[in-house]
Amino acid sequence: MIRPPVGPKEGIVRRIVLSLLVLGALGAAANAEQLVVYTYRSFVNWGPAAAIEEAFEAAHPGVDLVWVAPAGGPEMLSRLIAELASGGTAADVFLGISAMDLPRALAHAVFRPYDPALIPNLAQVPEDLLFDRTGHVVPFDHGYVTFVASAALREDLVPRTFSDLLRPELKGKIILQDPRTSTTGLAFLLWTVARFGEDWTEFWRAFLPNTLTITKGWSEAFAMFEAGEAPIVLSYSTDAAYAYITAGSLRYRILTPDGEAARLVEGMGIVRTSEKAELAHAFLDLVLSPKVQELIPTSQWMFPVNAAATLPPDFARYAVLPEVPVFLDPAYAAEHLEAWLDQWQQVLGTP
Amino acid sequence: MRWRGGAGWALALLPLAFLALAFFWPLADVLRLGLQVDGRWTGDRLSALLADPYVRRLLLFTLDQALLSAAVSLGLGFPLGWLLTRYRFPGKGLVRAFTLVPFVLPSITVALGFILFFGRAGYLNRFLMGAFGLGEPPIRVLYTLWGIVLAHAFYNAPVVARFVNVAWERLDPTLVEAARVLGTGPVRAFLTVTVPLLLPAVLSALALVFVLCFLSFTIPLALGGARYATAEVGVYLFARVYVDFPRAAALATLMLGISLALTYLYLRGEGLFQARAGGVRGQPTVPLLSCNRPIRSLWIGYLFLAALVFVGPIAAVVADSFLRAAPGAGSPTLYWYRLIFSPAWNPFLESSPAGSVGTSLVVAAGATALALALGVAVSWTLHRVRSRALEALLMAPLAVSSVVLGLALLFAFRRPPLAAFGRGPWAIVLAHALIVYPFVVRVIRPLWEGLDPNLVEAARTLGARRLAAFLTVELPLLRGGVLAAGAFAFALSLGEMTAVAMLAGAGVTTMPLAIYHFLSAREFGAASAMATVLIAVTAAAAWAWDRAGARWLGRDHGGR
Repeated sequence: MIRPPVGPKEGIVRRIVLSLLVLGALGAAANAEQLVVYTYRSFVNWGPAAAIEEAFEAAHPGVDLVWVAPAGGPEMLSRLIAELASGGTAADVFLGISAMDLPRALAHAVFRPYDPALIPNLAQVPEDLLFDRTGHVVPFDHGYVTFVASAALREDLVPRTFSDLLRPELKGKIILQDPRTSTTGLAFLLWTVARFGEDWTEFWRAFLPNTLTITKGWSEAFAMFEAGEAPIVLSYSTDAAYAYITAGSLRYRILTPDGEAARLVEGMGIVRTSEKAELAHAFLDLVLSPKVQELIPTSQWMFPVNAAATLPPDFARYAVLPEVPVFLDPAYAAEHLEAWLDQWQQVLGTP
Repeated sequence: MRWRGGAGWALALLPLAFLALAFFWPLADVLRLGLQVDGRWTGDRLSALLADPYVRRLLLFTLDQALLSAAVSLGLGFPLGWLLTRYRFPGKGLVRAFTLVPFVLPSITVALGFILFFGRAGYLNRFLMGAFGLGEPPIRVLYTLWGIVLAHAFYNAPVVARFVNVAWERLDPTLVEAARVLGTGPVRAFLTVTVPLLLPAVLSALALVFVLCFLSFTIPLALGGARYATAEVGVYLFARVYVDFPRAAALATLMLGISLALTYLYLRGEGLFQARAGGVRGQPTVPLLSCNRPIRSLWIGYLFLAALVFVGPIAAVVADSFLRAAPGAGSPTLYWYRLIFSPAWNPFLESSPAGSVGTSLVVAAGATALALALGVAVSWTLHRVRSRALEALLMAPLAVSSVVLGLALLFAFRRPPLAAFGRGPWAIVLAHALIVYPFVVRVIRPLWEGLDPNLVEAARTLGARRLAAFLTVELPLLRGGVLAAGAFAFALSLGEMTAVAMLAGAGVTTMPLAIYHFLSAREFGAASAMATVLIAVTAAAAWAWDRAGARWLGRDHGGR
């Protein structure tokens, strides 16, 4: 019989494949108890995620806190909703749901009610920040979404009003985020609805030519802005404080067109299907502790919700509070959000 | 010894049954969701889809950019084909080899390269601003329609160049010479003799480029932002980002119809555009360096522009992987390479970087094995049973875009029987095998035709069973083809991101998707390092494919 010669190479390939499979199996076997937290990307590459993980794992030996953050907030929430609808999710906690997205989460019963007795630090959070009256989501930070200009923008082009934002000289100079996938993007969409009422699509039509690109999340937009890809970005009113504290620089200017900025409150909740309620409550409490809350201003670049947390003086000095904070009634927004997003897509679709 | 009738069809059953389970049935699920409302077949979803201005815009933009991409690819690729046919110059072999590179270069690495090189803060603009003391970046192509078109041209100009080169080589040079002898000027001879004779090849190349760009996914996903999304990106967004399955299925159904129609037209057209049989001797070539000055500088200018577009982005990726300043390590650094082989969990990837490398290798190995098995079985069947209908069925995955295939498998792995495989990388393995095996068939099928049936007869006469005869006689003789196809399948699977984006889940991330996530988190150093490794591995696999092909299949890619 003629047999194909078996060379030494085939043996090597087989060995490599086998050892890879063994390595994979080992990795899966070494599972400690895990608490899986879904959040948005910038909470990990900017926010206090690493410090929280360290503190949590120190307080709960044997527990592995696992962050999952491949996308922006609304996109992560969509994914969690889809996972819950199709046979379950690994997530125990969702951190980073804005007040704007809350009705969507409640409609899909994403969260279980929390037990205030298990979150002692909640007592330090002022009443007016508790945006979920149904008892599912607790706030962990708040701030303002607005436009930020870099020093590369010529002085006479710095927009002071909404009509300045439409100036043809700003063509291709502004980076936005997609309201379907990003919290800041959604905040801006609702801001324009609040400001222009029925005419908000008119504003967007005129505004689109001035955008360089519309990214899926805030992280890429801000990184592009920092790299000099465009001189204006939709971001946070604390970015000047960020530039000053990290680099001693006054290179970023906060723009509050017509004195306005969009109010943003962000919360977290325990996923309905989680079997680790106790650990999850402990996690929520840790995030609300003064120790973590004092990290919020200079890592997350937002305001803490715990009244006992002190603000760094430079943060308090450079973080801009707008004259007119804009906040659309969440119940009203929830009712129309889907239609607005459809309309927004259509505006995007008209060249 | 051709088998006819029942026995032949019985042979076809094995690959058919596999495709039925792993391809046709999942695809039917997409159609059902796209075309059924409450169990009733209806076009309601499709008409609602087409009435939506956003979707209309997606389709229109997809068409626009595909037409422009084909035109720009022609503009950039035709001179390259010309240069390779008519001129001799030092480094010609290298240029010729380079036209193959885009075929195996993973598209996410191209997108990354474009951002790093053509970005407003990219290498090119930084250089130009420094050199000419400019206050504003002069090159503003990225994040516009033209950024996508240029990236598509990067991929497809070499396709055009190869088509033109091959057709031109086959052209009979005496035709032009005759025209010249009859007193026609060189320009006129070119326009009235050469161009009409090259037209079929050019049209054929344009049609292919158009189809490829129409179904493009990774480049517009990474470079387009929300404003410049193609229909394929739309299917992905509906399915994976906004989680609106009925809408995703409706758009996928529409895209399936379009891609079937395009494939049909392309195959019909291919016959019409078939290049005419050539002359007996090759095209005369001219040494480029001895040309007169204006022509020489024109070509050198073109080569400079081509190098900028083709070499710039890739060089930028490699350079960036060493030069991007690392936290606490400065520049140049190997920090990013240490990072991408780290076993530590990375929240952006939902895996460790090292884990994504491992997943990529396991997926590519699995997909290669499956594609080879399927490819050998299908090519054998098609060799034994001559039936156009059977061929259409067995090669059908060729006409389905990776996004639609991904959606079909996404649905299929959510319910029995495929759900039994769980949430591991199996869906991706299957997707890649289905994408790749038609190419395996194309490589191996001609080998069956060339096989001497007497060998098998001899083995059978000596008492070998049918299977033993196959394993010991036919398979070893096909070895060269199988190796070449295997290397090609491996390279393609490693670089494929479209089906992966549709099917990836917790803990299952491949290298291209990891690059996309690093890119989205704007971790350029890590993205560049991983892209450099990916480019090196796919280039090695492509080189193996090329060598195996040259050695066993009598193909020759070498320079003349």
